[in-house]
Amino acid sequence: MSNFDFDKTVELVRNTLVSAGSTFREDKKNAYRRAIDRESNDKARWVLETILENAEAAEKNRSPLCDDTGIPHLVLEVGENQAVTGKLLDAIREGVKQGLRALPGRPMGIMGDDSHRIDQSGGLNPDSAGVEPAPILLRRCEDDVLRLHILMFGGGPAIRGKTYRVFHKHNTQVVLDEIVNWATEAVAQLGCSPCTLAVGVGRSHFEAASMMLQAQADGCYDVQSDMEKEITRRVNEANIGALGLHGDVSVLATFMKVGPQRASGVRIVCLRPTCCFEPRIATVEL
Amino acid sequence: MTEITTPITDEVINSLNVGDTVCISGYIFCGRDAVLPKVVKLAEEGRLNEINVDLQGGVIFHTAVSPAGVGPTSSNKLEIESSIEPLSKYGIKLHLGKGALHKETVDALNRYNSVYAVIPPVTALLGDKTLEQKVAAFPEEGMEALHILKVDRYPAIIAAAHGRSIYE
Repeated sequence: MSNFDFDKTVELVRNTLVSAGSTFREDKKNAYRRAIDRESNDKARWVLETILENAEAAEKNRSPLCDDTGIPHLVLEVGENQAVTGKLLDAIREGVKQGLRALPGRPMGIMGDDSHRIDQSGGLNPDSAGVEPAPILLRRCEDDVLRLHILMFGGGPAIRGKTYRVFHKHNTQVVLDEIVNWATEAVAQLGCSPCTLAVGVGRSHFEAASMMLQAQADGCYDVQSDMEKEITRRVNEANIGALGLHGDVSVLATFMKVGPQRASGVRIVCLRPTCCFEPRIATVEL
Repeated sequence: MTEITTPITDEVINSLNVGDTVCISGYIFCGRDAVLPKVVKLAEEGRLNEINVDLQGGVIFHTAVSPAGVGPTSSNKLEIESSIEPLSKYGIKLHLGKGALHKETVDALNRYNSVYAVIPPVTALLGDKTLEQKVAAFPEEGMEALHILKVDRYPAIIAAAHGRSIYE
């Protein structure tokens, strides 16, 4: 941490948050191009083309991909000789604030006490930076760096997401079948398809949700496991299509992370049917 | 591509079918979860004149309006979908959002000769098509206040009309 520079860290985080909210990574652009090529429904294909055109405009303008600019979710990777100090966390927090103002983020932070924040009677904070980030997830990494992933989580996938137990009957297929069932129902209701399905499997609700977050940080549209391919293929067979207009592409890919498991007949599964823009992610080494 | 300009007449609605691609121009209302129940309440009490709002032939876009831009929120959220029937009754002709509606709502749209259209959530592109914006009522709701936009050729697909839905 001898090279820690507060202002430089703030600037890096600010710029990374703006990138997360305004940019498709190259593998996602390619996934959309492949989807456009194979979509047989003209209206669904028009939606896919429009989403890609929107992404190009947002990247060029450094402006939001979607008006629901999302809640910042952060994954901080820590290498062997790196230190996480309170000052570093302060710089990250300040960078998030500045990034939300620069994007600009939608001012949707709710003010007031616990009850006011639940029923939204405390009013809206007019400052984009009033949107607090979710708690930071920390993990070790092999490279000797501090690496920060910023993901922006919209509201639609949160409505349709689910974390629940699955009795696996000592058969992986049982869990996959349940994920496909959940995802098919969720994607049909989402409205903002095509999705990328984010799936975490853990021993507790917390762990499953953290696996779901890490799956998005690590996921790549060009590299899919057999389980990820199967989930994507089976949900696409439901013919939901972009915006639910029917079609061949309801899901672009599945990002799945399976954590350690306990000796038990139960697995905890977290599914987030991310929208057509998510994962909205950018990564920086601090 | 069918061009639609507000205020929308019954004749225009009669000519629309599920699956039609349309472009919407003119002045449109924007509202979502927080404000639509308030607008419904005023309409049912015959007090819309208090906020100087005329819903006849109008469009309601289910969106917030903020510095981040506009984009559809899920129209099947409880407070939004439950506004569709009463607002149709009081003059709204086109509800603009995203997501499947329940059959009861599709039937209610038909009863009042209104339609539902879905719009891709393309905030960066819609920004260039939004010419004016102002708060129409309930400014205390911030980005969720009732807004009026002047728009130029917002693209959409008719998703429910005349008792039919594209999600069937």
